[in-house]
Amino acid sequence: MSAPSTDIAVIGWAHTPMVRHTDKSETQLLMGAITDAIGPLGLTRADIDFTCLGSCDYITGQAFSFVSNLDAIGAWPPKRDSHVEMDGAWALYEAWLRLQEGDIEIAVVTGSGRSSTGDPALIYPMEMDPYFLAPLGADPLTFAALQARAVIAAGVADERTMAEVAVRARGTGDVESLLAEEYLRQPLRRHDVPPITDGAAAMVLATGDRARQLVERPAYITGFDHRTECHNPSFRALDDSPSTRIAAEAAGLGDAPVEVAELQAAFTHEELLLRDVLGLGDDVAVNASGGALRDNPIMATGLCRVGHAADHIFGGGGRALAHATSGPCLQQNLICILEGRS
Amino acid sequence: MSARPVAVVGVGQTHHKSRRLDVSFGGLVREAVFRALDDAQMTLDDIDAVVLGKAPDLFEGVMKPELYLSDALGAVGKPMFRVHTAGSVGGTTAIVAASHVQAGKHRTVLAVAFEKQSEGNAQFALGSGKGASLGAGGAFAPFIRAYIQRSGAPEHIGWKVAVKDRLNALKNPYAHLKIEDISIEKVKASPMMWEPTRFLESCPSSDGACAVVITDEAGADAAAADGRPPAWILASSSRSEPPSFPGRDPVRPAAALQCAADVYAGAGITDPRRQIDTAELYVPFSWLEPIWLEAFGLAEEGEGWKMVDDGTTELRGALPVNASGGVLSSNPIGASGLLRFAEAANQVRGAAGEHQVDGAKVAIGMAYGANNQYFSTWAVGSSLHPFD
Amino acid sequence: MTRFIESTITFPYKRSLGPVVGAFMTALTEKQILGIRCGDAVLVPPMEWDPATGAELPHEFVEVGPAGTVESWTWVPAPSVQHPLDGPFAFALVRLDGATTPLLHAVDAGTPESMSEGMRVAPRWRGTREGRIDDIICFVPGETAETEGEDTGGAAEPVTRMDYLASITYRNPVPEAADRATEASREHRLLGLRCPTCGRVYAGGRGLCPVDAIELGPECEVELPHKGTITNFAIVTPVQYPGQTETEPFVRAFVLLDGTDVIIPYSAVIDLPADQVTVGQRVDAVWASPAEETEEGGGMGGSWGSLLGWIPNGEPDLDDPDLVNRIF
Repeated sequence: MSAPSTDIAVIGWAHTPMVRHTDKSETQLLMGAITDAIGPLGLTRADIDFTCLGSCDYITGQAFSFVSNLDAIGAWPPKRDSHVEMDGAWALYEAWLRLQEGDIEIAVVTGSGRSSTGDPALIYPMEMDPYFLAPLGADPLTFAALQARAVIAAGVADERTMAEVAVRARGTGDVESLLAEEYLRQPLRRHDVPPITDGAAAMVLATGDRARQLVERPAYITGFDHRTECHNPSFRALDDSPSTRIAAEAAGLGDAPVEVAELQAAFTHEELLLRDVLGLGDDVAVNASGGALRDNPIMATGLCRVGHAADHIFGGGGRALAHATSGPCLQQNLICILEGRS
Repeated sequence: MSARPVAVVGVGQTHHKSRRLDVSFGGLVREAVFRALDDAQMTLDDIDAVVLGKAPDLFEGVMKPELYLSDALGAVGKPMFRVHTAGSVGGTTAIVAASHVQAGKHRTVLAVAFEKQSEGNAQFALGSGKGASLGAGGAFAPFIRAYIQRSGAPEHIGWKVAVKDRLNALKNPYAHLKIEDISIEKVKASPMMWEPTRFLESCPSSDGACAVVITDEAGADAAAADGRPPAWILASSSRSEPPSFPGRDPVRPAAALQCAADVYAGAGITDPRRQIDTAELYVPFSWLEPIWLEAFGLAEEGEGWKMVDDGTTELRGALPVNASGGVLSSNPIGASGLLRFAEAANQVRGAAGEHQVDGAKVAIGMAYGANNQYFSTWAVGSSLHPFD
Repeated sequence: MTRFIESTITFPYKRSLGPVVGAFMTALTEKQILGIRCGDAVLVPPMEWDPATGAELPHEFVEVGPAGTVESWTWVPAPSVQHPLDGPFAFALVRLDGATTPLLHAVDAGTPESMSEGMRVAPRWRGTREGRIDDIICFVPGETAETEGEDTGGAAEPVTRMDYLASITYRNPVPEAADRATEASREHRLLGLRCPTCGRVYAGGRGLCPVDAIELGPECEVELPHKGTITNFAIVTPVQYPGQTETEPFVRAFVLLDGTDVIIPYSAVIDLPADQVTVGQRVDAVWASPAEETEEGGGMGGSWGSLLGWIPNGEPDLDDPDLVNRIF
């Protein structure tokens, strides 16, 4: 069995303003993101051969919530279209697979969600083991804190290096003042946890020849893989992220150095753990965008990591890594490697 | 299409029931998964990736259940994917799983779809908990009224479909509804639900799961050599159109017509009525059978009901539709689409047991979702080039 | 100034447990905690399958605890409504004696200073136990299990089901177009938005054209007539579920507004029994009277606001075979 083509590229993307509380509907957010992604490429919605949306009913607060998002695509005449109940980064994976079939040229993928409308502490327990964990209201902050403890015990992070990540991510604050704050969920403080962000992102993919017609410097997807681990954090060694390691290897991270890495680390300790697992040295610029600690539009956060990694390639960079994650304590991880060509 | 050939080599499903009180979530999906693996003569170790599909998580109150089910599905260390395209999701699950293999990224992929909707309430979930929900059939009653008026179909057509599918279900060991004494009179006498659709013309609410093993050409050839013929995936398509705008046709949705055109072009089908031996169409309310027969080019416009009336779509007719008993006999919502795709595959593998359509070489499986907006269809064949 | 609407999705789910979780929950009612053998390990909580491989596990249950050791913990200073305790507590990974894997649960230690890795804890059992993970109210420091309230003993029958009440409240911003439509309806006006590209008109505060995928702002507004024709309809026989409001078959009609292509979908009908609704019937809009107005409007609600429904106006039915297709 031969490997997938590496001649499929990200050629553009856009995201809505990242805000604490949007006054727009998810469909409106998506509509704007798609228009802004395809416009600069000289494309209209009629040019889109395949769309794949990423969103989550429980975040939105309605069954079949993605159906109204179809209005954002302009699916008339009817479009080849799909939807994943996952972050847009996985919608990207589905589109990348679809383009491999060779019969179509342009795909648009999106991720969208408004997490300001509900309380994550009350929603997220519903994705946990329904018998043993959901009934305790076991929330993401609790799991993140337990993982942070393990990561600290393993010497991969400490509260100081975590605060340093926060300062770098947000471009503001000083480590000493941050460390003087109360714990939110020890050892996590407010600066260690992500903001609540409403937002959407849309990304354009094209097959090789079409990509080269449309842009100067496509960001070719040369490696793409994702893996999951067992669900219950009690059964895992929380000071490691084996699925990240496997996905990175399968995506060919080890083949050549990357200059830039965009990691979906919603918590400061996650960035340090992921750096360690991926073997990213100080020469790699990690989360120059600020990452999920700065803006965390749930269901689009991962896709935005790919977008920022692609920006590095568009700007002349050679090789970039993007990471996305889902589930408690980094249960599921996705790695996408992007490259430019001379 | 330049895609690599891929095929179905294993199919499994649960015994669908109104309430599977004997199993947990994991137990339900694993029942289907292990049957599919046994059918493929494989183990979880042979699976490179898992694609899970189900309908809205509100049905069970478990958000993103692929997370909880990762280990149950043997997906640890592997890719796990979750699709959700409303009622068509089971079909999309199969298509995306096939895409995983067609792309050359994975060799053998497990497609799984399920619903354990007895834990919640389907009507509640469909209406997101609000009062005066239209219910499952309320959205389609107007489409059915339009079809009946346009086609002039007589009132008994819906009843005939209902009887046909339940009689077929008696030959399907996994089907939910087993109504031994089903008859036109019984259907006609059942309570009206969404005029003109009566209770016995409507799908049940089922707990159930379906799993399908899809592999590459080498794997399919190996199964064939071992006396286990695969179902080659000739073509597939997913098409969507927006929910509501002036110009949408309720009876012949453009997305359905386009989906069919994609599949027929990809599979080399130029005369669907003659070249397709049997079809598994997503019919949760009886009148959708003539509607889909027409939209999918198996009948001329306005003539679909005649194929029902003259027995063409019966199990021993010229073009059997829903030999398995269809959605009218088993409806675990998230899995129903995959069941259509799986049953179509079983037909061309000669693996449909008592409801086997003799000599079936080409079959289609079709699923739809939301307000007749999402369409997923595949064509499968007992060989890669059945029309040569 | 954006308006917000609160809505709560609440449902009392009833889960079936299967043989392994069922055995665990039944044992809880007996104040026993079970793990399951997985190779050399004892998994707590018990799983039906090996988490690493997915292989089915034989039902070799092992009693563990009741006391155990805290392996890790975090402090919850402000518990949520879903948490096991009302006051500040620790969530901890507790490795019960005899278990290989830890169990997540609450520890009622009083202060974070009282928590430490390696400390010993034991369950505080609920007096009346149903077979749920919170039959253990929480763990308490020390070696000795305790019971809160009168101990009513183990379950009479094996436990096979579990209740789970899910309740999430959402606060959604109302898009401008929806609000303007609601405002207009209070003045008994039907507002439409005309797409400048394709010319289609949309009612109900949709605020966008799905064909051209553009937003439609106030500059696109057009007044719509209050007279129309029923093109199609559904007669729904209600089923019962939590939150259901109907008891009798009810009509949801589609009304094509005169001189337009606009359909008002899923409308109520007034003074029109279900068995007398016909395609082609001529109707007028009915608005909520001041007495019927509530905060949300007395009518269809949402962007339809004060529109109550449609009433036959006595004009002869329209005879047009295409009417029945006009649903969108």
